Amino acid sequence: MAMTASRGAWGRGVAVLGVLAVLALAALLPFALQDVFHQRIAALVLLAAISASAWNLIGGYAGQVSIGHAVFFGVGAYSALLGYTLFEWPPIAGAPFGILISLVFATIIGLPTFRLRGHYFSMATIAAAELVRILVVNWPLVGGAVGLMGPAVPRSTLDLSFTSPRPYYWTFLGTLTALLLVTHWMSRSRMGFYLRAIKGQERAARSLGVPVQRYKYYALLLSAGFTSLAGSLYALMVGFVDPDSGFGILISVRMVIITALGGVGTLFGPLAGAVILVPLEEWTNATFGGAGTGITYVVYGFVIMLISRFAPGGLAELWRRLQAAGRRHAA
Amino acid sequence: MPITRRGTLALPALALAAGPAAAQGAPVKVGVLLPLTGNAASAGNSARAAIELATELVNTPHPELASMPLMATAGLPNLGGRKLEAVFADNQGNPSVGQNQALRLITQERVVGLTNGYQSSVALTASAVAERYGIPYVNGESVATNLTERGFKWFFRTTPIGPDIARVYLDFIEEQQKQGRPVGKIAIVHENTEYGTSIADTIAKEAEARGRQIGLRIAYSANSADVSPQVLQMKDAQPDVAIFISYTSDAILYMRTMRAQGYKPPILIGDDSGFSDDSFIQTVGDISQGVINRSAFDASRPGSNSNKINALYKAKTGREMDDTTARMMQGYLVMADAINRAGSTDPAKIQAALRATDLKPDQLMIGYRGVRFNEKGQNVLASALLVQLRGKEYVSVWPEDQASAPLELPFKGWS
Amino acid sequence: MILAQLVLNGLLVGAVYALFSSGLTLIWGMMNVVNFAHGDFVMLAMYVAFFAATLLGWGPAAFVPVAAMALFLLGVLVYLMLVRHVMRGPMLAQILSTFGLALVLRYAALWAFSANFVSLPEDLTGQVVTLGGLRFEPSRVLAGIAALLVTLGLHLLLTRTALGSRLLAVAEDRTAAMLVGIRPDPMQALAWGIGAACTGIAGGLIALFFYVAPSVGESLVLIAFVVVCLGGFGSVPGALVAGLAIGVIESLSAFWVGAAFKDVVVYALFLGALWFRPQGLLGKA
Repeated sequence: MAMTASRGAWGRGVAVLGVLAVLALAALLPFALQDVFHQRIAALVLLAAISASAWNLIGGYAGQVSIGHAVFFGVGAYSALLGYTLFEWPPIAGAPFGILISLVFATIIGLPTFRLRGHYFSMATIAAAELVRILVVNWPLVGGAVGLMGPAVPRSTLDLSFTSPRPYYWTFLGTLTALLLVTHWMSRSRMGFYLRAIKGQERAARSLGVPVQRYKYYALLLSAGFTSLAGSLYALMVGFVDPDSGFGILISVRMVIITALGGVGTLFGPLAGAVILVPLEEWTNATFGGAGTGITYVVYGFVIMLISRFAPGGLAELWRRLQAAGRRHAA
Repeated sequence: MPITRRGTLALPALALAAGPAAAQGAPVKVGVLLPLTGNAASAGNSARAAIELATELVNTPHPELASMPLMATAGLPNLGGRKLEAVFADNQGNPSVGQNQALRLITQERVVGLTNGYQSSVALTASAVAERYGIPYVNGESVATNLTERGFKWFFRTTPIGPDIARVYLDFIEEQQKQGRPVGKIAIVHENTEYGTSIADTIAKEAEARGRQIGLRIAYSANSADVSPQVLQMKDAQPDVAIFISYTSDAILYMRTMRAQGYKPPILIGDDSGFSDDSFIQTVGDISQGVINRSAFDASRPGSNSNKINALYKAKTGREMDDTTARMMQGYLVMADAINRAGSTDPAKIQAALRATDLKPDQLMIGYRGVRFNEKGQNVLASALLVQLRGKEYVSVWPEDQASAPLELPFKGWS
Repeated sequence: MILAQLVLNGLLVGAVYALFSSGLTLIWGMMNVVNFAHGDFVMLAMYVAFFAATLLGWGPAAFVPVAAMALFLLGVLVYLMLVRHVMRGPMLAQILSTFGLALVLRYAALWAFSANFVSLPEDLTGQVVTLGGLRFEPSRVLAGIAALLVTLGLHLLLTRTALGSRLLAVAEDRTAAMLVGIRPDPMQALAWGIGAACTGIAGGLIALFFYVAPSVGESLVLIAFVVVCLGGFGSVPGALVAGLAIGVIESLSAFWVGAAFKDVVVYALFLGALWFRPQGLLGKA
């Protein structure tokens, strides 16, 4: 017992140092990658990790599998570019409004959907997201079907529009770090405890006096805010959003896929999923895409299938199995 | 690759001895962005075959097409006969992927220019990358007006856009009125993504400017499983002219449903895209006789460049070339011609050559009045004509001076 | 008159939705597995029909059973090779695996058959019948009748046969079923086979009046999800009722509210319905 305690304190110190070292390495990565295309992929990995980690808060930790998170992503992306279109703001100025609107949306969406369980909840979130997408398609003020454009050429550095992917990479890295810190803190707090209870057995949690509805809301609000921020960052980098690239169902599905691939409800699962999936997407497309035979997706889909077949718990499960094997080996 | 090139330069005697093949050097790469997967995969893959054909035609002598630049010779003569190479990339119909691929083509494949894009959203984001890197971009197919309104210096577009198209329709309708046909009630039925919405908006605006009303406007989602309510709406309203702006799957469903509901508008116009697709003709051509279609590509006139190109394309793929594919191929050929006139792979020289482009109608494979870009990069000589479905073929019927067959109204449909 | 025609069209489309969803609700309800590849199962069945009709000149009486058999095999294979292993993981692993499967099927089809839109010969798709001023295509009526028969058949299978009780027992409680001597794996493989076979029937019949392309499943699958959920997961009669209801709602709202907004009406009503019936229209609480 004494052994484990001292190892716990010692281990925590090592862990903090390790995380700092990894962070420093991550920050230096763009210097190691000379090729701008690779730098851009690195930035896209982080962006995907941000939205998947944000989804993980409600979908992983609280176990409420939303397949409608594109709503928040789209609101974030649209807010950034709507501020520019209507008032010539720099796109980043729209991000706080995006978060605000997303919180309002989350509150409204939670109302009918949190009464539902399991797949009913998932389907209801799809319906809510599709509803919003169709309304946006038919609403000329927000660009309708055509979508919204960012500044074609940067007017000042405030537009945060760069040719090099590096500044985006560092922005995304900072955001992801903040999000993972919040997630870590949350999972250790009372909220994390409650969410685990809700995920395990909602009825039991309720009978034990956990304010289920309130904590689900907390998780959703936190998740929605960060997803919206991810959307704003996306719009910043790509400089364009239309109903499909903002509110499309594939945006939602991708967050789920990345998290499931990495490990649901784990701190680094979504990041690990993004590290695998985004380069896989880019590699298959760069290698097979030009041939026009669809092999891109055959390979991509096959890899996803293989991972789910042999590690249904995602990479996190593989990791635990490896650790266990290592321990057995050591013993 | 650069090493080999330097190698041949260092050993001119050897190069001479090896003959012209070695003197040609590495092929000149042009990046081609297409939706090869996703919803528009059908259009993207047709275009891919056409651009492969275009590359073949440039790289091998084709005296029968001598009126078009680069056809009679092999390779790019002003670059010492270097071959042209199309590097295809799949944009998956996604603006962000389009941007990634543009970046990859520019920085990794070292292409000297980019072409196509298909979806306006992809052309928009990909050309923004090209602009940053100073790489010329020629688009032959995307119709969103704002593409050439961004003050870009490296973006050029050869296709007719919304206002050109709207003018054709309204001119046609006015002429039908002069001939005594009722045209008072116009209906527009359009799919509600960017393509359908923007074309419908421009037609409505042009109609209004000419003091006409759009009596019925129906927006619908292209992936609907059922379009019968829309057809019943039209059956109820009985418009004199119906203009459909549709992709392939919905165009097929509309024709089937109109037949099932027993409804024929007296004048039925399909706006290119879905109605041009060879799949449309193969699946529902028999019940769509007399459909009028906007096109710039009229393969029905024997001896014309279009006719010959279509024959070559048919030999290669077994399908008729549709207008969208032809416009995409023409855009690519304009890029090839500019590279040759530049006599260099220097992007700035190609850009200058594109600015100086002045192609005449007989130098094109498509029925434009020519290719000449204005300061925004838009082709001011782009034009469209109207074709009509006869059997399994579209024949040109309007304007009369370009018609190869007389116009037949009312819409016949099925027998 | 127009109202009657709208309702009739809505019912016929709704029957297609119901037919399309019957296999999905079986798999989803019995095993709590979301099959993201469902639309692509239908797509494959449509290609079976297409090739049987164009290359071999078969009629629907021949190619629909063949499509059903082909899909039965596919369903069993998918269960044994993929789903069985994934079910021990969290629910998300099923989304992951069937999403991967969907991509593989859809793009293998694109590879093999090209992205072009094709359709069955006109003599199979073409006829129109007029009855009392109402117009309809016999092929759609055939699909509607098949929807009723498949629903009835599945319902009887689950409620009136020993096999059905075993299937339900496994779905209810895997361990308990094992204790009374039912081996769960063959049962669930069978459920996947039957569910996929229903999908095969649906695909074969829909091919009679729809276009065929690798992307066709994608455009139909979302509405199938809504149908299954609205009806209540696992409720076969629920899928029928929900399918017909959504067909009619779509038809009427497309006419009166506008085609671009018909899905807004459907999704809003769907959310509203779940407010009052969180377990779906005919689902068990």
